[in-house]
Amino acid sequence: MLSRIAESLFWIGRYLERAENTTRIVEVHLQLLLDDPSVDQDDAAHSLLAVMGAAPVEVADTSEVLRALCYDTASACSIAAALGGAREAARRARETVSIEMWEAINTTWNSVKGARLQRMRPASAFRHVRERCAVISGTADQTMSHDEGWHFLTLGRSLERVDMTARLISTAHLTSGTQSAWNNVLRGCGAHHAFVRTYGGVTTDKDAAEFLLLDRLFPRSVVHSLQSAESSLADLALAGGRRVGFDDEAQRLLGTARAALEYRAPGRMLEDLPQRMTDLQRTCNLVSEAVTTRYFTGATAATWSGGN
Amino acid sequence: MKHGSPNLSKVSVLFRDYAGTPKAFDEVVGAEGVRVAYGSVLRQLAKLDGDEVRARAEYLKSTYLDQGVTFDIGGEERPFPLDIVPRVLLADEWAEVEAGVAQRVRALEAFLADVYGEGRVFRDGVIPRKVIVTSPHYHRVMAGVRPPNGVRCHVAGIDLVRDEVGRFRVLEDNVRVPSGVSYVMTNRRAMFSALPEVTSRHRIRPVEGYPLHLLAALRAAAPSGVSDPTVVVLTPGVYNSAYFEHALLARMMGVELVEGRDLLCHNGRVSIRTTQGLKPVHVIYRRVDDEFLDPAQFRSDSMLGCAGLITAARAGNVTLANAIGNGVADDKLVYTYIPDLIRYYLAEEPLLASVDTWRLEEPAHREEVLDRLAELVLKPVDGSGGKGIVIGPRATKRQLDALRARIIKDPRGWIAQPVVQLSTVPTMIDGKMAPRHVDLRPFAVNSGDEVYVLPGGLTRVALPEGELIVNSSQGGGSKDTWVLARDGVRGKRRRRRPREVVEGVPLGELGEEKVQQQQAQQQQQTRTGGAPC
Amino acid sequence: MGRQLRIVHRTGYRYHGLISASHNEARMTPRATREQYVLATRLEITPVAWSHSFIDYWGTPVTAFEIAEPHGRLDVVATSTVDVGDRLSVGSGISWDDLRDPRLCDQQVEYLGITEHVDPGGELRRIAQDAAKKANRPVDAVQTIIRRILDRVEYVPGSTEVSTRATAVWEARAGVCQDLVHLGLGALRSVGIPTRYVSGYVMPNADPVVGQPTTGESHAWLQFWDGAWVGLDPTNNTAPGDTHVEVGVGRDYFDVTPLKGVYSGSQSSDLFVEVEMTVLA
Repeated sequence: MLSRIAESLFWIGRYLERAENTTRIVEVHLQLLLDDPSVDQDDAAHSLLAVMGAAPVEVADTSEVLRALCYDTASACSIAAALGGAREAARRARETVSIEMWEAINTTWNSVKGARLQRMRPASAFRHVRERCAVISGTADQTMSHDEGWHFLTLGRSLERVDMTARLISTAHLTSGTQSAWNNVLRGCGAHHAFVRTYGGVTTDKDAAEFLLLDRLFPRSVVHSLQSAESSLADLALAGGRRVGFDDEAQRLLGTARAALEYRAPGRMLEDLPQRMTDLQRTCNLVSEAVTTRYFTGATAATWSGGN
Repeated sequence: MKHGSPNLSKVSVLFRDYAGTPKAFDEVVGAEGVRVAYGSVLRQLAKLDGDEVRARAEYLKSTYLDQGVTFDIGGEERPFPLDIVPRVLLADEWAEVEAGVAQRVRALEAFLADVYGEGRVFRDGVIPRKVIVTSPHYHRVMAGVRPPNGVRCHVAGIDLVRDEVGRFRVLEDNVRVPSGVSYVMTNRRAMFSALPEVTSRHRIRPVEGYPLHLLAALRAAAPSGVSDPTVVVLTPGVYNSAYFEHALLARMMGVELVEGRDLLCHNGRVSIRTTQGLKPVHVIYRRVDDEFLDPAQFRSDSMLGCAGLITAARAGNVTLANAIGNGVADDKLVYTYIPDLIRYYLAEEPLLASVDTWRLEEPAHREEVLDRLAELVLKPVDGSGGKGIVIGPRATKRQLDALRARIIKDPRGWIAQPVVQLSTVPTMIDGKMAPRHVDLRPFAVNSGDEVYVLPGGLTRVALPEGELIVNSSQGGGSKDTWVLARDGVRGKRRRRRPREVVEGVPLGELGEEKVQQQQAQQQQQTRTGGAPC
Repeated sequence: MGRQLRIVHRTGYRYHGLISASHNEARMTPRATREQYVLATRLEITPVAWSHSFIDYWGTPVTAFEIAEPHGRLDVVATSTVDVGDRLSVGSGISWDDLRDPRLCDQQVEYLGITEHVDPGGELRRIAQDAAKKANRPVDAVQTIIRRILDRVEYVPGSTEVSTRATAVWEARAGVCQDLVHLGLGALRSVGIPTRYVSGYVMPNADPVVGQPTTGESHAWLQFWDGAWVGLDPTNNTAPGDTHVEVGVGRDYFDVTPLKGVYSGSQSSDLFVEVEMTVLA
């Protein structure tokens, strides 16, 4: 398939996942403020914005969090910007994505653009965005051929999920020690139910971190997402006729990151957690670059000098 | 078919106050009442009440927004306006248009082949060489380049209007990158879902075969020796106002939609960059203007094309559709010579009339036109899409004076025509029916063996009252254009063949009942087995 | 009298930095005419290039080529062997009325059109008009007009660039062969005489030694319509003879540029040109 289209699909996957996870992260944040009156609102807002890579601001409070991470299309890490980016990428790949998928993405954008998102209550807005993302990814799975293009979409989704879950864990760590921080995080990524079923009622921070990092069955855990990204890359390499070896830089990076998580001594799970999460985000960027170099390069226009 | 009802008010509340316009030909009502073509449409519409029709019109708008059937005006995406009342053409009316359009395309092809070839037409004095070589669209780099199957106008859009007596006349030809055909297809689909009661009662000639005809024509144009050519659609990108159309055509033809940066010329051949490396391309249906196609030949600052395309085309390794340099044939000055060109190349009389036109380079013409400026329409020779047109009766004195000066300075740049009162069709404006002027752009696809004319074409509506310039880039609307088959209205005919019976297999289910039954059985067993041994 | 000449035309670009690709057209091989028989031509391009040759709209042989590998320098060497016969130096002396024949005007319309580069400007137009009024025949006007141009504009190598316009040359009173031709084209066309630009080569020495290579020039002159195309070399104020070799004709320099193209990856480049001519017989 066209490199440019592959790149668009990859980014549709990333942007949608980003939008969805951002709703989860912001919701966790708001919930924490409600649950625990001892938390300093402004401090929490500052650190959340930092973790999400928002542009630094003087005064951070809840409304700033909502602006920078949800509504403001000019803020690169906002939900609105992510949905806009997904829609723009889909428009470029319009003849490749299925009609139903395009319409799902387009109606989603129409439902949030022009400050429509602000007008909903935050909780409804978050649910709306998550539902729309579920509709889109379900539609993609059911109406797109599971060919190369779909693999790029899944790859983008998985990679972004690794990145976002790492950020979510970082925010949990920042507020850990406070009551219910990890519970909140687990709820945030829809994992609380699965977690309780697996670990039973009495749990520790370590259990929660372990679950989010290492659970092999829960689809939002870091290891699961890494694995899924790896398998997309393997399918892509296979489609390109490669059947042996790991010459693929992106695959190597992902495998290394996964091994580092999986083979860590059980007792050291919480050690250096923030630093490791930052490293994981960096790995995601490197993987994204490696994929770009291998599959998407050349998709930029040449500029010519001379002539008449 | 029966004659339509003579009285509009019986037909539908919406049409109660409808009366065409005094000067123009109204396609729905004439002196004798409702015209034949629309009788059945209006009867069917009358079965819906006014609010229902208005709701359906709203539905058209919202479905276009959801589907992204939009176009850009100044960077803003708007739904393409589609009116709820279709435009209807009878089989006979269409037959005339179809033959006329095909004839015109054949003549334009012959003319282009001649102009970029030996130039017989100049030697024989049919058209002055000057008209051609002074056209900015005459691209000398294409001289002597013969396309593989001889076709240069793979797609043509011929703009027609109906004059005061309802006769079709050609307004202009478009053989560069005519656009709008996607709306013909989406309009039809939208109308079928918005007005099923009305559409189902008519036999309307289908339009969705267009992409297949186009693909066949593009494949037929492949370089010689390529038996299974790769076709792509080249778009300037998402910011182009016709991007929707490019994507739709690519998808319906099942080919890649590419941008200039996806292409690479290498060793005189063209490839696309894919995730698995370079893949050769043989036919490019390009929707990028000539001047932007090849930075090595035209504008070196163009980011929309690919350097080396023209050399590749000249070497016979790739076909560009439409051909570069077609603009000399749809120049408005050349337009005035087309009836002569039809007679010269085809030895036939033109089937479609043209609009009378003055060429301003001829001093006698110029003098007459400058005298009558206030009653004529003045058009820039290479403007398209209604740009720069001055309608004399509507212009202020200052505008006319400015125009006069421009004509005197550049007579080659202008033509003059009498004001043609385009025909009108009822259109829903603010919830009521009002007459609005329309034109028609039928699309023709030339495969080299035959010229296929898509039944109908794009009807464009000038939405402001009395407006005579019809163009979507100036905020125009559109109508679904129905060409009725010979027996255009579906009656209650008896089925000729017996219905085939398919044996049905019941659907499987989890069956709450079965569970209950089992539980009930168990109870029974317990009961019966309750007796002690 | 005729001669056999060999021309070696070396040209190319030195780019500032490596460029990733380039697309070019070379018009460096002589065209065949009645007075000029082309025996052999060869075009060598370094680095190795894919090329395609054809005859363009104006009748000039062109080689289009593309280089897809990174390179810092482009070299094009054209080697041609040509038999040059006597050229027409006198026309049939047609009248002003002959020139106004609508059929002729339509046929020669491109050689009558004044492009932006050859526009002679008001002063030279008036001089040309005046000369035309006084001349009995167009050919007489041609002589006067060219003389007036040479009176005003001096031949100064390196004084202008390829894109310098005729009006600017008239103002600066200095130019190279191409500029003198452009002025001539504009002035003659302004009085209705069809005129065309000729690109080619000339031996600097009118009396060359057989077998001895000399440094020649990439040169330009013009041809005007006098019942047939008649050559005139304003730089030397002579009729082109058997030391001139024609490569191509056009409306102005830009129809017959020896080497032009686009390249990607660098901002600027230097052009170099070298012509070597040898009389073989």
